[in-house]
Amino acid sequence: MQIRLKFTKGEEVKYISHLDLMRTFQRAIRRADIPIAYSSGFNPHQEISFGAPLALGTSSSAEYVDIKLAKQMEPAEVSERLNKSLPQGIRISGGIILSENAKSAMAIVTHARYTVRMLIPDTGEERLQQDIQRFLEQKAILVMKKQPKKDFELKETDIRPMIIGMKLIPGISGEGKGEYLINCLLQSGSKANLKPELLIGAFREFTGYEVSGIRINREAVYAEKDGKLVELLDHK
Amino acid sequence: MIHNDTKDYLYDEILPRVEKPGRYIGTEWNSIHKDLDDSHIRFAFCFPDVYEVGMSHLGMKILYHLLNDQEDIYCERVFAPWTDMEAELRKSGNKLFALESRDAIDAFDFVGFTLQYEMSYTNILNMLDLAGIPLQATDRKKGQPFVVAGGPCAYNAEPLCDFVDFFMLGEGEEIILEVMEAYRQWKRTDGDREDYLRLVAKIKGVYVPAFYDVAYNEDGTVRQVAPKRADIPPKIRKRVIKNLKGAYFPDKIIVPFIDIVHDRIMLEIFRGCTRGCRFCQAGMIYRPVREREVDELVEIADRLIESSGYEEVSLSSLSTSDFSKLNELVEKLMSKYESKKVSLSLPSLRIDSFSLKLVREVQKVRKSGLTFAPEAGTQRMRDVINKGVDEEDLIQSAGAAFETGYNSLKLYFMIGLPTETMEDVQGIADLAFKVVDRYYEVPKQQRGKGLNVTVSVSSFVPKPFTPFQWEPQDTVEQLAQKQRYLQKAIKKKQVTYNWHEPDVSYLEAVFARGDRRLGKVLNRAWELGCKFDGWDQYFKMDLWMQAFRDCGIDPSFYANRRREIEEVLPWDHIDVGITKKYLRSEMKKAQKGELTRDCRVVCTGCGINLLEEGGVCK
Repeated sequence: MQIRLKFTKGEEVKYISHLDLMRTFQRAIRRADIPIAYSSGFNPHQEISFGAPLALGTSSSAEYVDIKLAKQMEPAEVSERLNKSLPQGIRISGGIILSENAKSAMAIVTHARYTVRMLIPDTGEERLQQDIQRFLEQKAILVMKKQPKKDFELKETDIRPMIIGMKLIPGISGEGKGEYLINCLLQSGSKANLKPELLIGAFREFTGYEVSGIRINREAVYAEKDGKLVELLDHK
Repeated sequence: MIHNDTKDYLYDEILPRVEKPGRYIGTEWNSIHKDLDDSHIRFAFCFPDVYEVGMSHLGMKILYHLLNDQEDIYCERVFAPWTDMEAELRKSGNKLFALESRDAIDAFDFVGFTLQYEMSYTNILNMLDLAGIPLQATDRKKGQPFVVAGGPCAYNAEPLCDFVDFFMLGEGEEIILEVMEAYRQWKRTDGDREDYLRLVAKIKGVYVPAFYDVAYNEDGTVRQVAPKRADIPPKIRKRVIKNLKGAYFPDKIIVPFIDIVHDRIMLEIFRGCTRGCRFCQAGMIYRPVREREVDELVEIADRLIESSGYEEVSLSSLSTSDFSKLNELVEKLMSKYESKKVSLSLPSLRIDSFSLKLVREVQKVRKSGLTFAPEAGTQRMRDVINKGVDEEDLIQSAGAAFETGYNSLKLYFMIGLPTETMEDVQGIADLAFKVVDRYYEVPKQQRGKGLNVTVSVSSFVPKPFTPFQWEPQDTVEQLAQKQRYLQKAIKKKQVTYNWHEPDVSYLEAVFARGDRRLGKVLNRAWELGCKFDGWDQYFKMDLWMQAFRDCGIDPSFYANRRREIEEVLPWDHIDVGITKKYLRSEMKKAQKGELTRDCRVVCTGCGINLLEEGGVCK
């Protein structure tokens, strides 16, 4: 039996790497006594796999882990047990049972939604709104981008097509403090992948703003189904 | 900057810029976070090295939970920030903070350092400075923390006396709670700093250096160390837990997010060692030998596995093979945990046929290398240091290992041991070759493919409270020459030769047997930029030598001088339970190459049994 769990990677744990996160789960699973399946062979390891890795420093409301169980246990029960055994900042928010031939979370992802919180002095919502507008109206947005398949070699890439949407969330927080929230929907996954850090870098360069206090949160991860974007747990 | 909160600033601006931000998070599983109120005694437990090293230290795990089990004490962890983090803190004007609360530690009640090795001393100064705490104990005022220290180097911490308000000698579990109780009393009285120091000086095992005067002879040796007042004890005696049965051990340990040096459960099976190797300080200062009961160990392991989720348990002690019920313990642990996929590791084994069989049973999976520590190359030399291993044993064990398929072997040696000749140095190469030859005696189809013997050679550092405490260390030039000689002698494709930098061993020898005058050298070296001296990439010998010159102190006086048997040693006012008489007789036996037996067979009269009323040895 295989299940997929959705979890948060909050502020407290946003600085731990993908590898650290995996180890953290493996130990939490042992503490919670989840009947996880082990691989056979001389050095048995837990049958567990994670969705797309998150950049160090980015928090998330939508991370995914697929777990193979050796015995039947409802996702709700697994979630409840794990939530008692996971460190601060990691919380399971839902789960589904996967079909026998389900593809991995990593394989089906096509898009991700992020909110980016920034501190920008000397601007206002209206002006920022216009800046974003102008930014998106560019024909091409060229940045130096690492190519994972080519040894992370840097190559000038047009990221404009990978930006599906980018909006200021108005009236969210103290404009007086210079704090702004931007919501963006970006391509994500094996076909095309744009990291929000890269987008913010390009935006910063375009506007010349002195941006600090950047906090990025992954809000949702989607897969395409019948031409529509569906949240990963709805993609059975 | 628009950040209102320093903690937010640290988290949002600094951490993204440093390597391994996971070192500074502080919310690991089983870390303790308390809601603070005024009544809390705040204790910053500082390990003067990087997170991955400090978090691997068992003593810290024990004391952290012991202190936090007291409702009114909040103990937090502090490690030496890596150099990138230090630069960020200094640049932004932030102070060194404790991991759990991210509060600056200069407002804590205690800042406590554990002294594990001499080469971490400059990090202590650097951490105090980063915390905004005056380096000199005499400059600290009411409201500033008491800087305290413990651990093996505290037995001769004279070079740190300028910086530390008081030391706790011996096993911390009991003494630290007494020190805390004295603090509660003192806080109620509104006394000044000295009142508190006087209060703790009454606790057995507490050493307040400011209460002692050191006088020197004209030749620079110590004339005497004497208490300034009649109510201060002339000798400070270390503390031990008489019986480990039922002794405190936490039910849970912190599980780090990032990979650390020893990322597993360390199950302490016993303390002390009875072998009596004459170079070994641990073998003397951690006496007496006290074992935990098998059933209690299994219970502790159960609780820790459950609360941590760790997948590996490592038995911890100075010499695993000497645990009297090792077989029983291993069998019990194995039968319990095999199905739970918890593995067991047995470090510090004496390699003989018995342990080989045990290792094979335990490590069914990983066929990693084996480590042997003959320590010296010739039988004569091994007899001098009382390492009761003979060549035949070693070759036989190596043979047994090769026959079971091991093809990787590590051999540990020391050069510069007392009475050593070039013949003894050559003996190291000879022994390595005999091990290689033994491999080729094993039939080809039976032995593992591709032999690799690693010969690891370090330089002998004479340490206080050992029979060699009076011995001169070889000069750096002599050590380097011996290293070069070996390097040439050992050139063989199956043998890898590793050595330790003699410069570092030289400084270790200086500080291990140093006196209070070295405080200013430490201070100067730190001013010049020395830190992380245990890390190759940061160790700067030229700066150290400059520090000695600037202070007008000759390091060779400490490292390379033979000390007279009548000489007052800088640590003579510290009593670790081993008598000077015993150490002297061991030194004489060493000179004659006479062996001393394991004291479990027959008491060798080291004096430790008189440490506590009623005796401490079984």
